[in-house]
Amino acid sequence: MLLIIIAVNLSGCVKIETKRYEASFLDLFDTITTIVGYAEDKEEFTDHAQMIHDKLMEYHELYDIYNSYDGINNIKTINDNAGVSPVKVDQRIIDLLKFSREAYQLTDGKVNEAFGAVLSVWHQYRTEGLDNPDKAEVPPMEILKEKEKHTDMNNVIINENESTVFLADPDMRLDVGAIAKGYAAERVCEYAMEHGFANGMLSVGGNVRTIGRKLDGGKEVSWSVGIQNPDLESAQTNLYILGLSDYSLVTSGVYERYYTVNGKQYHHIIDPDTLMPAEYFLSVSIVCRDSGMADALSTAVFNMPFEEGLKLIESLENTEALWVFKDETMKSSSGFENYIKK
Amino acid sequence: MKSKRIAIYGLLVALAFLLSYIESIIPLPIPIPGIKLGLANLVVVTGLYTMGGKEAFILSIIRIVLVGFTFGNLSTMMFSLAGGFLSWFLMVLLYRTKVLSITGVSIIGGISHNIGQILVAVWVVSNVMLLYYLPFLLVSGAVTGTVIGMLGAVIVKRIRKYDF
Amino acid sequence: MIKKNDVILLGTILLLAAAAIIFINIRKTDGSRVVITIDGEEYKTLDLNKDTTLTIEVAEGAYNTVTVKNGEVDMTEANCPDKLCVKHRKIHYNGETIVCLPHKVVLQIVGGEESEADMIAK
Repeated sequence: MLLIIIAVNLSGCVKIETKRYEASFLDLFDTITTIVGYAEDKEEFTDHAQMIHDKLMEYHELYDIYNSYDGINNIKTINDNAGVSPVKVDQRIIDLLKFSREAYQLTDGKVNEAFGAVLSVWHQYRTEGLDNPDKAEVPPMEILKEKEKHTDMNNVIINENESTVFLADPDMRLDVGAIAKGYAAERVCEYAMEHGFANGMLSVGGNVRTIGRKLDGGKEVSWSVGIQNPDLESAQTNLYILGLSDYSLVTSGVYERYYTVNGKQYHHIIDPDTLMPAEYFLSVSIVCRDSGMADALSTAVFNMPFEEGLKLIESLENTEALWVFKDETMKSSSGFENYIKK
Repeated sequence: MKSKRIAIYGLLVALAFLLSYIESIIPLPIPIPGIKLGLANLVVVTGLYTMGGKEAFILSIIRIVLVGFTFGNLSTMMFSLAGGFLSWFLMVLLYRTKVLSITGVSIIGGISHNIGQILVAVWVVSNVMLLYYLPFLLVSGAVTGTVIGMLGAVIVKRIRKYDF
Repeated sequence: MIKKNDVILLGTILLLAAAAIIFINIRKTDGSRVVITIDGEEYKTLDLNKDTTLTIEVAEGAYNTVTVKNGEVDMTEANCPDKLCVKHRKIHYNGETIVCLPHKVVLQIVGGEESEADMIAK
């Protein structure tokens, strides 16, 4: 287990003396995962953190598109068998794909699980561009257009009775990067809550899901979750601090993963319509209960003009958003202010 | 009486210039923007004991403005004014109560001079961490205050001897 | 020239100052450290109150340079592909981290000043 650090904060509690602990892992979803929780002692917390880590690891392996694991059919297995044969998979993969389909319909195709063919081109060019910055290139539009022909969601054949997934188009690839972290975090939080994890917080690469409340010196208060300032060098770390309890906060931003070609930055969120990195905003943050939905919406809304995104957010219950435009001005949905912590 | 007062003013302002110059060539061990030792407080202490509170105030302002234009700039003058006001106010207060001698009054003056300056510095730099320097400034204020108080006592005695 | 009260005053002030200095120093050594871990293994802990620069050879040809200055920690150099850790701003709040994912290097503040936010969504 990759337990990096356990930070202890004294935090008196009303009934029993519980302390606040924190653990971080680097081996999940190619990012940093942080768990915050309360326990009477380090052992008890380590048990909880280990449970959450192990559960997340299962999801990590199932949803991985780059690596294979012994005895597991994962999304890479489905991709490898595109046009060849249906692959029998864990129910959790089918659930994710079904969830992704809901998100596809809700966002008018702005998140698409079948968009892997295009994304893999960008991934390849970005990786090469980072390894060799002098020779970094933008993928030629002809290649992207060619790959776009293989992104039709209807060619993902899910057979629930047989528990199989089949890609009918041999050149099609699944990529669940836009939703997998949030979706997995949501499922694992539910699992952890059923197993006695009543108050805490889970951040999978900055996708934050809060559980219960913070026990702050005998008082119960909502968790304070900051929204990253897209200007990473600014002394002001957070744009806002939101008070959240059982809610999720996910931000998609240009600063997360990008490479540079001729002085221009190309980030990793690709608009399915233009096949290029979306250029509307510096970042979009979504607040809602379900962390999977927050993850999907943050990507989708990032790929939409402001008016369209605002309309979508306002149509959803208990869902708010904050847009940061390229000139660093901000706009937010009607109920966003209610979450801002004084 | 009037001419004596003018003479003392002139004498003390000249002394303030001299002390400010000395101060400007002594480097402080901790570099804090706008913070100075406050040696020139000597003239305010002396003024207070030879002429009175109002005169000490006028002396303090003249000294800060003149010396500020000569050795500093507007922003350092702001620090000095803050330190000067606070220090003058507390010194007059304690001078009237007669609980302390000139040395004690001068110590209070030295410390409050530094406190005033650091408060402005905290406000300007908007960094509360500067307050960590406060204990060191207390010590330096107390030490300069003691020295100034003893010197002041000597000067006051000499000025009083010349009863023009 | 010097009254008894003056001596009492001077003594009180010096005592107060000494107490404050001792208090500050105790607090300083108690908290404010940065723990450096490489691939989950604790590598080194640096005191935030001592300005220093440390270059870590993570693996052959892979390095990260950590700089502690004025109570803040910064990753000033690294030869990782994305350089996200170098672009990260300086940190000093309790629990704040700078992560170099490619090199599996994590800098985490322990015992520093409390941040307003428990977690940051990014």
